[in-house]
Amino acid sequence: MQSNQTFADLFRAGGVSRRDFLKFCSLTSVYLGLSPSMVPSIVEAMEKKVRTPVIWLHGLECTCCSESFIRSSHPTIEDLLFNMISLDYDDVLSATAGHQLEDVRRKTMKDYKGKYILAVEGNVSTKDDGVYCMVGGDSFLNTIKETAADAAAIIAWGACASFGCVQNAQPNPSGAAPISDIIKDKPIVKVPGCPPISEVMTGVVTHFHTFGTLPELDRFGRPKAFYNTRIHDKCYRRAFFEAGMFVRSFDDEATRKGWCLYKMGCKGPTTYNSCSKIQWNGGTSFPIGSGHPCIGCSEPNFWDKGPFYTRLAEVPFLGSDSNADKIGVIAVGAAAAGAAAHAAVTAVKKAKAGSEDNDKA
Amino acid sequence: MGRIIEEIYVWRLPVRLYHWINALCTVALFVTGLYIAAPLFNPPLGEAVWYKGMSWWRYLHFASAFIFVANFLFRMYWAVFGGDKYGRFGGFRPWSPAWWGKPFLEQVESYLFLRSEEPNYVGHNPVAALAHFLFIFCGSSFMIFSGLAMYGENNPGGFNSVWFGWMIPLFGSSYTLHWAHHLMAWIFPIYLIMHLYAVFRHDVVDRTSVTSSIVTGYKHKVEEEPV
Ligand code: HEM
Ligand code: HEM
Ligand code: SF4
Ligand code: SF4
Repeated sequence: MQSNQTFADLFRAGGVSRRDFLKFCSLTSVYLGLSPSMVPSIVEAMEKKVRTPVIWLHGLECTCCSESFIRSSHPTIEDLLFNMISLDYDDVLSATAGHQLEDVRRKTMKDYKGKYILAVEGNVSTKDDGVYCMVGGDSFLNTIKETAADAAAIIAWGACASFGCVQNAQPNPSGAAPISDIIKDKPIVKVPGCPPISEVMTGVVTHFHTFGTLPELDRFGRPKAFYNTRIHDKCYRRAFFEAGMFVRSFDDEATRKGWCLYKMGCKGPTTYNSCSKIQWNGGTSFPIGSGHPCIGCSEPNFWDKGPFYTRLAEVPFLGSDSNADKIGVIAVGAAAAGAAAHAAVTAVKKAKAGSEDNDKA
Repeated sequence: MGRIIEEIYVWRLPVRLYHWINALCTVALFVTGLYIAAPLFNPPLGEAVWYKGMSWWRYLHFASAFIFVANFLFRMYWAVFGGDKYGRFGGFRPWSPAWWGKPFLEQVESYLFLRSEEPNYVGHNPVAALAHFLFIFCGSSFMIFSGLAMYGENNPGGFNSVWFGWMIPLFGSSYTLHWAHHLMAWIFPIYLIMHLYAVFRHDVVDRTSVTSSIVTGYKHKVEEEPV
């Protein structure tokens, strides 16, 4: 693998015309939310900069992020981008395996010390020294610490690496922890979603390659360009939400008419992601477009905020039958009962005191 | 009936106004909030463009929320700068061990029927002051901060999202913040029950006309039990 080629070299080698290449650059700038005046910098970076070396590790995960990444169905141009990150190590996609591959990882770490991007898919088992995730003969806990040490930055792909996902849902038997719990001294970009949208993934890489810096992040460490607004804010069913027109069961008239899924437990109002903007599979559709409520897959601990089809979550430590309203009703009932009992005692006391007074008189 | 021996002007107009605006807003916020969480009414079939089913409830929630916030800030201002003897929570010193001492214990004992004579306060008694602090001051502050944080989600980078948005990571996620806002909403009906009970009971037991005091401003001292 020649690792000193630029993106533009590879585009040319892949038979992509200059025109298509420029199109790609402007598309990318749109996805990244950059102004048109930035397009020349993207073009320049793509043409002149040596490809950014990427080490892609897999921990406790299901590989849905990789699946999303490679399935990007936009013009073949995106496949090319996939070929063009200098993906020096990826234990799932590499042809080699075993010691040979581990040597490649170490070599990249040495040759590009402080320059490579560490992309992590999946999270880290921390219980019992991390034995619940062994890759390449070592625990993933050790591997990630070793590989992160010389990285320029870390990209945490997906809900797993960003927040934990299903592995660290209660009761979290393997002590699964998101990357930010393990690595504290490196810049981390969180790209949550189960999986994240492929254009979001390529957009983050392109930003780093172009500007040499991480994209602007929000309070959770997610790129603002893609995670600044909620599904709800850009949802095409929002008009039905505002009108109070809701689907009430999956086989009613409203379902056929495509009304808002709020009452079916839609988590769109509390979920930050780009599904309602960029959509999935090259803009084909997204879950709400297909009539399914958003389950909030890009939000922290979304598995523990179920059930997916009701709006108000259960209170986990109080069993599966409780929610905020039930607690509230019980507490109000208790307050009323307490007041009534107190009133009764007061009345009895008063009556007693009154009769004593009368006796004295 | 005992003769009125003293009339005291306790609640000045700003306090009474605050009280009733606050009470109305709280009820409105509770009702509209629960509706937002679980919209009940079915609109007739038709085009979304003609209906405002959800927008109205949300609009009412936010409108009363902003009145509620302004009113709350006004009460804080009045407590600090109003120069109002009974309206400044002057006696409330929970940081000092002395405050938790005799007067507080006496009031608790009285509520628990452990003493026969009732301590009597013209302003707030210490237990009432503590309840106001926990339910009204802390409770309202929480509802305001979490509410404004959620309100700011509409407009990322705007005023509310910049100044209150930190509530979201603090509570783990937007969903958990909604949940906490929803759960905390229930403290208001609980408070209302305890509050009304306490007011009516004091009126019956001490006969200081406390119930009407929040309308007229006056409390009364009456003669001891007539024979
Ligand atoms: C949600 C409804 C209500 C809330 C949140 C509320 C809250 C409060 C607060 C915060 C105070 C302290 C006033 C201050 O010093 O600023 C107060 C006092 C008072 N409220 Fe309410 N109130 C509510 C409803 C009512 C109602 C319906 C009544 C009437 C029957 C009432 C009667 C009184 C009285 C008599 C006082 C003076 C008590 C004292 O001597 O300490 N309140 N209330
Ligand atoms: C006494 C005070 C308040 C009560 C009892 C109350 C109650 C509620 C309830 C029960 C909900 C539904 C939560 C859910 O399940 O999603 C809610 C939502 C909300 N409240 Fe409040 N609230 C109060 C004050 C405020 C304030 C001061 C604001 C500030 C603007 C505010 C803003 C909001 C917002 C933005 C929502 C979310 C609406 C949506 O998701 O469409 N609330 N409130
Ligand atoms: S379907 Fe979900 S995201 Fe869309 S408007 Fe309704 S609640 Fe919001
Ligand atoms: S609509 Fe919601 S649950 Fe579905 S992919 Fe997007 S963020 Fe995840």
